Amino acid sequence: MATKPQQTVQESSAAFSLDTAALLAEEEHGVSITGRSPWYLAWRRLRRNYVALASLVVFLLIVIACALAPVYAHHVAKTGPNENHITENVSVAGHQKPVISQGGTFFDKKTNQLRVKAVTILSPTWWQANGRFALGADGNGRDVAVRLLYGGKNSLKVGIGSALICTLFSIILALLAGYYGGKTDWIISRFFDLIWAFPVILLAIALGSALSINGINWGPIQVSSGSLWIPTLVISYVLIPYVGRPLRGQILSLREKEFVEASIAQGASPLRVMFAEIFPNITSSVLVFFTLIIASNILTEAALSFLGAGVQPPNPSWGTLIAEGQQRITTAPWLTLVPGIAIVLTVLSLNIFGDGLRDALDPRAKVRIEH
Amino acid sequence: MTLRNRWVRWTSIAVLVAAVSLLAAACGGGGSKNSEGTTTTTSSGGSSQQKTFPNFRVVYDTGTDYLDPAYSYTVEGWEIMWNVYLGLLGYKHVNGPDGATIVPALAKDLPQVSSDGKTYTLTLRSGLKYSDGTAVKASDFKYAIKRDFLADSPGVGFFTNIVGADEFSKTKKGDISGITADDATGKITIKLTKPQGDFQNILATTFAAPVPQGTSSKDQSTKPIPSTGPYQIQSYSPNRQAVMIRNPNFQPTDNVPATNPDKITIKIVEDDSAALQQVINGQADYDFHPIPVDRLAEVQQKYGDQLKIYTPANTYYYFMNTRTPPFDKLAVRKAVNYAIDRNALVRLYGGLATPTENILPPTYPQYKKHSMYPLNVAKAKQLIKSAGAEGAEVTVWGSNRDTSKKPVEYLQDVLKKIGLNPKLKIIDASIYWTTIGSQSNKAQIGFADWFQDYPHPLDWFDVLLNGNRITDTHNNNYSNFDSKAVNAKIDQLKTKPSLNSDINSQWAALDNQVMQQAAWAPYVNRQFTDFFGKEVDTSCYVNHVLYQFDFSRICMK
Repeated sequence: MATKPQQTVQESSAAFSLDTAALLAEEEHGVSITGRSPWYLAWRRLRRNYVALASLVVFLLIVIACALAPVYAHHVAKTGPNENHITENVSVAGHQKPVISQGGTFFDKKTNQLRVKAVTILSPTWWQANGRFALGADGNGRDVAVRLLYGGKNSLKVGIGSALICTLFSIILALLAGYYGGKTDWIISRFFDLIWAFPVILLAIALGSALSINGINWGPIQVSSGSLWIPTLVISYVLIPYVGRPLRGQILSLREKEFVEASIAQGASPLRVMFAEIFPNITSSVLVFFTLIIASNILTEAALSFLGAGVQPPNPSWGTLIAEGQQRITTAPWLTLVPGIAIVLTVLSLNIFGDGLRDALDPRAKVRIEH
Repeated sequence: MTLRNRWVRWTSIAVLVAAVSLLAAACGGGGSKNSEGTTTTTSSGGSSQQKTFPNFRVVYDTGTDYLDPAYSYTVEGWEIMWNVYLGLLGYKHVNGPDGATIVPALAKDLPQVSSDGKTYTLTLRSGLKYSDGTAVKASDFKYAIKRDFLADSPGVGFFTNIVGADEFSKTKKGDISGITADDATGKITIKLTKPQGDFQNILATTFAAPVPQGTSSKDQSTKPIPSTGPYQIQSYSPNRQAVMIRNPNFQPTDNVPATNPDKITIKIVEDDSAALQQVINGQADYDFHPIPVDRLAEVQQKYGDQLKIYTPANTYYYFMNTRTPPFDKLAVRKAVNYAIDRNALVRLYGGLATPTENILPPTYPQYKKHSMYPLNVAKAKQLIKSAGAEGAEVTVWGSNRDTSKKPVEYLQDVLKKIGLNPKLKIIDASIYWTTIGSQSNKAQIGFADWFQDYPHPLDWFDVLLNGNRITDTHNNNYSNFDSKAVNAKIDQLKTKPSLNSDINSQWAALDNQVMQQAAWAPYVNRQFTDFFGKEVDTSCYVNHVLYQFDFSRICMK
């Protein structure tokens, strides 16, 4: 059984001290930190931030729900995300209702006019149809609830995938620029400036639109036009400077520290210095950036897909669902609202958790994703 | 004078002035301005006075490909251009079947056709000027046809029967010997290699509209070519806006009458709901888009006569490229025809459609309904299996407009169910036809539709299914369907100068023959809506049988 660390109250000291442990203990309201790692200390701070933890729980619940999309589709809704059920009837609370009614015209003898028959598209059945069409149907007779979960899966795949790629490349570029400086730094910094010069969404639309026509065919790299890799790569590319530049700044300052110079003096290779000495000192920033950039990427993906340059139809994403739903916003507002709420909850939970993580890891850090 | 008397006197004067003003307005001729900043003009054939729109605001969709007469081949493009670029011949600006009547436009009269049906002689009206003031010459007609060939226009197939055109299309140098034009007299003579039953209709297309000599053969959509019609294109910004203003040099005739709106501003809006809302809010006067299906009944109930429903001659179909596997196999093409539920597709269009398996629409006298592909998914699966096409990768092409996107999303689902491995390719509507019409893109299967250019079966079979008219770019035969027997039959029927019951039944048989080979998977003939703002007087609404809503006739309440 794990024992809780001993909690002792220490006298606070306003005087200058080189005892960082004591200083941190003061911040921790006197809780002893003797012999504890910075990660443990961060966790101790984080676990007292209930709002951040609640946000993490919300985010994890969303991830789990989306990951279970195939289970829901197969066992509950009994349909796939792209399956059309246009002419089917569904039993809702014992009444047969068409997924999409027949519509058409008829000649009204009274007014001597051609009249249109009202077209109804199945509205949310909630649980009155044994889980089928819980959030209603779209214009192609597809189950909106299934598409919402699959859409979330795709949005999260793109968001997390692009955050991973973006962070990875940003770390490598920032380490190279910060460690070597000089020409290497100049070239990498100009590369950052080049991407930075374009508004994120405009650059992403341009790249996304161009690549979604013919895909990527660069020698051994072959990505088909409808692949999720296209929005993932596009988003990771356009956001590289937003992570890379602040990291480069931190590394430039770390490069001048004594422990780095000592390591170099002892004959450590550049790779060792970069990854064994400098990198551990930026991990807390990287972790915070990673969390915040997932949220940012999910928003960018939604914007791109809404504009037709992200996830390609018929595959759903929250952005494409909003775009499809806006056609019927006056008659079926839930088609837009539900994926909208899903995006808000995901992004909000990630942002709150990211802020909490930043406060826990390094309360003095000013880590922000701004574009 | 008492106060009361003064009031009576001033009131009388005011009433008198108002009465005189009304009388003056009532007697005013076309083009006179009244105090409201609007002008009055007389409707075509009508005697009632109609208020002119100072600026008629249209909300258009993204389907406009070009606004250059050599390049455009979409309903959106032609609906604008038939009031801008006149041909030697044209059509009456009236409602109903009478709209298909060919009339002289820039020509003085209808052509004189030689007894062998191979020589057409026309004379240009004298004193004609382009919108920029330069004179319209007979040789401009010849240049327009040459420009079509130089531009690889989608309309070149219409003119290959002209003597010397075939050679010009290969060399793109020299002249088309079959066209002679005398600028002094305005006489134009066109010689054909063999008689052609629809040649007058072809002369009435915008592809044959004269343009000033020296006009670049490159697309001039954004640098509008001077016009001959009642309007000129003032500006065009693709996918954003087009503005049409009156052509100051246009002289109205009985066949091309004086028009109503002074200016037409066409704003391109992608979303059907947003377009509808703009008209409801009074930000626009006319919505070209189809009304979102679940709002149709509500719109009709609320706005009554502002909503018009009409049925143009059209066929919506899936093309299947016979040059690319797996659609080079008849069994696979038949499987697609068996697998699609045409009644389901009708519902995608809000029921404003009828299912079809025919090439020709039911409005044609040559139409003879056939039912050779009843819904049978099991049979479709079996056909795919027998063709060895199971798991074959298929790219389904569609544009980002709802009318195309929905049916291709449906098709993708159907193809998956019958054992193919489909993926979707959705591209922008403005480049869709050019993209799938380019052989280099090898478009396998996808959305297509056709609205008649002129009421003749040749406009369907010759343009869309004649293997001899397949081109590398701007190809209209998206299926690349090339059957020797069908080509020969089309060429034979093409020489018939007129249609009769015997010829009609031959066209109907050809329809059957093409569908036996499953060149397409036709699915519906659609009905459409025109929706107008509350300021529009729909009593002067003209829906033309070929060009649909005629902007030039509409008037203000």
